[in-house]
Amino acid sequence: MAKRKIARKKPAADPPATAPGTGNRTNSKLQLVQQRQRATEEDEDNEDGYIDDEAEEVEEDEEDELEDESDLGDYVSEDDEYDHFEGLIDGAISDSESEDEAGDDAAEGDDGENDADEEAAMFGEDDEVVQQEETAEVITNSVSDDDEEDEYLSKYSAASEAESFSSISSGEDDNRVAYHTTGADGKPRPIYHEIDPHYSSDDSDLEDTNTIGNVPLSAYDEYPHIGYDINGKRIMRPATGSALDSLLDSIEVPTGWTGLIDRESGADLKLTQEELELVKKIQLGENAGDVNPYEDTIEWFSSKTEVTPLSAAPEPKRRFVPSKHEAKRIMKIVKAIREGRIVPNKPKVGPEYDQPVYDLWADDLPEQQPHIMHIPAPKMAKPTNDESYNPPEEYLPSEEERDAWNKTDPVDREKDYLPRKFSSLRTVPRYESFIRERFERSLDLYLAPRVRKNKLNIDPDSLLPKLPSPQDLRPFPIKCSVTYRGHKGRVRAISIDPSGLWLATGADDGTVRIWEVLTGREVWNTILDDDEAVQSVEWSPLKGCGILAASAGERVFLCLPPIFDDETETMGQELLAAGWGYAAQPAPTDDINKEPLCKWTKPSTKLAYQGVDVVIVCRKTVKQIAWHRKGDYFTSVSPEGANMAVLVHQISKHNSQSPFRKSKGIIQRALFHPFKPMLYVATQRYVRIYDLSTQSLTKALQPGARWLSSFDIHPQGDNVVTGSYDKRVTWHDLDLSTKPYRTLRYHARAVRDVRFHARLPLFCSASDDGHINVFHGTVYDDLLKNPLLVPLKVLKGHSVVQSLGVLKVTWHPKEAWLFSAGADGTAKLWTS
Amino acid sequence: MRIKKRHQAGAAKNFITRTQAVKKLQLSLADFRRICIFKGIYPRAPRSAKKANKGSTAPTTFYYTKDIQYLLHEPVIQKFRDHKIFARKLSRALGRGDVSDAKRLDENRPRYKLDRIVKERYPTFLDAVRDLDDSLSMLFLFAAMPASDKISARVTEEAEKLCNQWMAYISRERLLRKVFVSIKGVYYEAEVKGQEVVWLVPFRFPQNVPADVDFRIMLTFLEFYNTLLQFVLYKLYADAGLVYPPKIDSAKEQGVGGISAYVMESKRDKELSLQASTTATAITESEMESRAQTISTVLSKITNDAAGDANEYPVDNDEDDDEEEATEKLDQFTALPSTDTAISDIIPQPEEMSPEDAIRNLLSPFTFFIGREVSLDIVEFTILSLGGAVISESALDAYLNVDTDAVPDAGEIDFDARQREVDALLSKVTHQVCDRPALASRAPGRIYVQPQWIFDSLNRGRLAPVDDYGVGATLPPHLSPWGDGAGYDPEAMGEEEVMEASEEEDEGVEGDEEEVEIEEENLEVEEEEGEEDEALQHQRELESEANGIMYSSTTSKKRKRAGEKPKTSAAEKQAEEEKELRKIMMTNKQKKLYNQMQYGIQKKDYRRDTLKNKKRKLEKNKQHKKRVL
Repeated sequence: MAKRKIARKKPAADPPATAPGTGNRTNSKLQLVQQRQRATEEDEDNEDGYIDDEAEEVEEDEEDELEDESDLGDYVSEDDEYDHFEGLIDGAISDSESEDEAGDDAAEGDDGENDADEEAAMFGEDDEVVQQEETAEVITNSVSDDDEEDEYLSKYSAASEAESFSSISSGEDDNRVAYHTTGADGKPRPIYHEIDPHYSSDDSDLEDTNTIGNVPLSAYDEYPHIGYDINGKRIMRPATGSALDSLLDSIEVPTGWTGLIDRESGADLKLTQEELELVKKIQLGENAGDVNPYEDTIEWFSSKTEVTPLSAAPEPKRRFVPSKHEAKRIMKIVKAIREGRIVPNKPKVGPEYDQPVYDLWADDLPEQQPHIMHIPAPKMAKPTNDESYNPPEEYLPSEEERDAWNKTDPVDREKDYLPRKFSSLRTVPRYESFIRERFERSLDLYLAPRVRKNKLNIDPDSLLPKLPSPQDLRPFPIKCSVTYRGHKGRVRAISIDPSGLWLATGADDGTVRIWEVLTGREVWNTILDDDEAVQSVEWSPLKGCGILAASAGERVFLCLPPIFDDETETMGQELLAAGWGYAAQPAPTDDINKEPLCKWTKPSTKLAYQGVDVVIVCRKTVKQIAWHRKGDYFTSVSPEGANMAVLVHQISKHNSQSPFRKSKGIIQRALFHPFKPMLYVATQRYVRIYDLSTQSLTKALQPGARWLSSFDIHPQGDNVVTGSYDKRVTWHDLDLSTKPYRTLRYHARAVRDVRFHARLPLFCSASDDGHINVFHGTVYDDLLKNPLLVPLKVLKGHSVVQSLGVLKVTWHPKEAWLFSAGADGTAKLWTS
Repeated sequence: MRIKKRHQAGAAKNFITRTQAVKKLQLSLADFRRICIFKGIYPRAPRSAKKANKGSTAPTTFYYTKDIQYLLHEPVIQKFRDHKIFARKLSRALGRGDVSDAKRLDENRPRYKLDRIVKERYPTFLDAVRDLDDSLSMLFLFAAMPASDKISARVTEEAEKLCNQWMAYISRERLLRKVFVSIKGVYYEAEVKGQEVVWLVPFRFPQNVPADVDFRIMLTFLEFYNTLLQFVLYKLYADAGLVYPPKIDSAKEQGVGGISAYVMESKRDKELSLQASTTATAITESEMESRAQTISTVLSKITNDAAGDANEYPVDNDEDDDEEEATEKLDQFTALPSTDTAISDIIPQPEEMSPEDAIRNLLSPFTFFIGREVSLDIVEFTILSLGGAVISESALDAYLNVDTDAVPDAGEIDFDARQREVDALLSKVTHQVCDRPALASRAPGRIYVQPQWIFDSLNRGRLAPVDDYGVGATLPPHLSPWGDGAGYDPEAMGEEEVMEASEEEDEGVEGDEEEVEIEEENLEVEEEEGEEDEALQHQRELESEANGIMYSSTTSKKRKRAGEKPKTSAAEKQAEEEKELRKIMMTNKQKKLYNQMQYGIQKKDYRRDTLKNKKRKLEKNKQHKKRVL
């Protein structure tokens, strides 16, 4: 059994051993042949004791099965497998051989099936073995047929022998154990018999093989032994020569000396000449095997006609019968040549250009419209006078023009040449960039993306909107007829009394002046405040009372200028005085500690003498005052006042209230609706409309401006016009949207004021550029018709002082007259 | 409803980038360029490049997809591919040293024709004529170019031939309408089949060939233009009853060889078609450059010609019917102009003719003697196109002073006879075109003019006064017959100056309503200052400052108004004001457009005004100088 193990192990562990193996194979072949002969002579002669009944049966079964397989190819394919089983004892198979022979003769069909069953029952062994047995069988058969293939066959038979041997021996494992001892781990350890080397074994020389495996030999340097054999006995280190010996050895190198130590034996490793050559070959990367790289070629496919053709198909007809079709075609050509239609080898003359020229447009097609996507290349520009060789002198560039032309990049030049003048044709030189220009034209033709540009061939005036002529929309202010001079600072405020006779103005010098409208005569003036400018002046809309509200600094003054008749004066005094009683009462507010919004006080005697009746002291500078149409209420706007920026004052009760609890932003202006209980409040961005009766926000207009300066409400209440510091004037139709209906931008500077006329369809805007633009603005009763806006006139007269122009405008209550207050210290009346 | 995918329709589908096009056609970029040039396919600028480029805004060249689809089936592309194969085979054969193979391959090289493409691009003849401008300019350029390693001599010869044929046709049919000698070259305008054809001919000097010009592109264009012009000329000649191609007298062509190329060019025009058109003179001239032997034979013809009946072309008698037809046609060709001249000689009544006929026969009564310093090609072509006859001095020189060493049969020439011949010819000369500062001697009975006289006469449609164009005279400016392009007429100045003078008086009255560009101010204030009364100016300055207006604005306003029409009437002023008001109501878009237009108008006006000012100044200087002298 040990032998078998070794035999199996050998090919894997020791590949070089194949060489001797082949030798074995040839031997076994010879033996096979001999054995076969023997077998035929003496039936069932058991030479080998290993064979038992089982083996016999196996052989028989296989025999049956193998009947079918008669192909040689199978052996070849299994060749490799059998290589592993080389070097086996010949004798081991002799028996089976004889069996085979017997089987050949025996009747096959009958036992076949039974045997197969038996086999399945009896052999739990691997199929591989069985298979190998089969092949072995067949080989032996074929050997008998064909002696030439001896070599192959012997190999396989040898393999089969090995298998049969192994299969047999597997059954008797236990017989080989001599006795059991206790191993190092305390388990019983079998001690095997000493192996009795079989006579055919060639492994006997490896008996004392070192079993240290991968442990390096150097590990045993300190010990007298160099490893252990299969049974764990020490293999003693062979005696090494003395130092002198080794010296001698180094001097006289014996043949085959390598200087290496055999790992297994511990002796000097000596290599034979053949081995050295092999090593050398391996080192050179040559083929180490016994292969002839220069074998003679075998011409499998040669010019020699084989007796048996590769294809049995009969020769097609076309191979030996000339083609009629080809003949036809050839005859055609021949005919053409004969007739001269084809001239063979006609000399091909001339360049590509030598083509026949004919009337290309002979068919005379009617002129068609070109395809809509076709964009013809534009023609070259026609030369102008300045390209002439002798242009008029004014075309010649001046020095500066020449320099400018030279400095500009050639790409950016308007023209690619400078005009030059030559006295005569004789002196004209060549044009340097002629070829380049032509080349660039070529590039343009095929490389420049083309686009159809519709040149607007219209009169620019046709773009102007069609509007009714201003002449048809008269009356409107045209000219400045009166200039009111007297103020020493910018006139910031202007107001005309309801009768249209008296103009009140307030200026930076702190005075309020009243002028007779038509004559421009100053009838009354007063200094309200020495330090503060008069920000706002407004006549009460109530006719026949003559109350003028003016603001300077934090104070609002209610005056009764002594220019009216007594009746008016007394009425005004009554109106203003009526509230004192209310003011005396404590404020009805719940919080007493709260400081009142503003104080209604009596003026100083000086002011009272000048005609001021009431002074309202607010917390912050009052910038604007606006009356309610009934004259009892007025609002004051002090932009810095946060939530108390807008105050509503009641004259009859001397009462002020703040309509907003929270700050709405910086309030620019607040106005009452012309006839509804509504309050319009403009912040920087929005115009908010509050319903006073319901105390709610009804609408917020978005003029789209950055900073509104002013706004005004159309007398019918449905339209609002706003002006902003970013030069825009917007018209809002409240029925349409919160966005403007029209946004106009025509002023060069910030718009300061916009105003509607109370009766006529006029409005105007005043700006820091010193201009007042007068517009016609009709609002139709028909809801579907948009308002008509027509610019009528630009009034220019105010001069711009410190980049401030016209600060305030107001319309005459009845006439189409316009009053304007300018930063130049004058007020002007513009009449039609 | 199906959701529409982006970039699946519209511009993204209609336009294709160049790379895509090249890939689709499976061509190299060079071949793509060639086919585009031949087929007249050009890139487009889609309305939205982003949409066409599927959302990318990278700069890309777009082609119309249908153009490229249309190219897919182009047979010429197949020829390109064949050529590629051929080139490979040829190089292989040459590499192997198979000379005979290479020769055979070369003989059978794939060739393509462009006639079909010409027809495709120009379905009607008029389309082709309309598009001749670029073709002619290119051909005339190549006709004037020297052959080099990039441009083969064959190409230039071919171009030259076609140019000469074209000029021959134009001058014979007298179709020339305008000539303009510019610093770039000479522009001609001819009216062919009712279409204006303008072309530019470079001056006959060696051209400056820039190194970075890609001649492959130019030659591709030339190839197409060549084919186009061939077919157009064929049709034109056929329509005029002429034979195409016109015959070339081989003897004369040889004879040309001895003369400088410059002169040769014009000679060849002549010898192609124009000999008899100028009666005897032209023929003598053309013959002058030919060698002695041929000249003697031709001379006999000339005498016939001079006699007036025999219009025969020197052709051999033993020719086929075709040839005879050709000569017949040639006869017609030659006969017409000569009769024309005869008529116009007898009845010079320009007022009876239509303006077109007047131009055609503008110079018909005259015979011009052209000095050797004059560029013959320009002058001769123009004169012949206007019906005049030409004798060139350089040709006479060559005729009379035969180099006895160079010409083998020089001994046989009868120089006295020649001299007599020439004298007879010279006796007919009415005008001499000369371009030199002074003349040593003047022949009696001749009018001496500079070449510009001819051009200006043609452009005006009537003969210009000869006095201005005398020898050595300072020439009047040569104006473009196509005008100034920007509305400035250098000749119409006299009346305006009068108006300006009256306008300047009004200026004090004008208010300050208009805004003026600043750029104008700076330029013009300086000019003004010198001219005005200083005291008065100072006064004005003070006044305007008092009004709070910058002085410069008032002056410039004045200037500006000087250029425009004077608007004195109140109504006009009011209209102007109303216009300004209406501008307020324009929408933003309209306003932009309007301002753009105004920009263009103002630019034009500015240019016109500066030119006017310059002219005024120049004239003032001139007058001043006169006074000083």
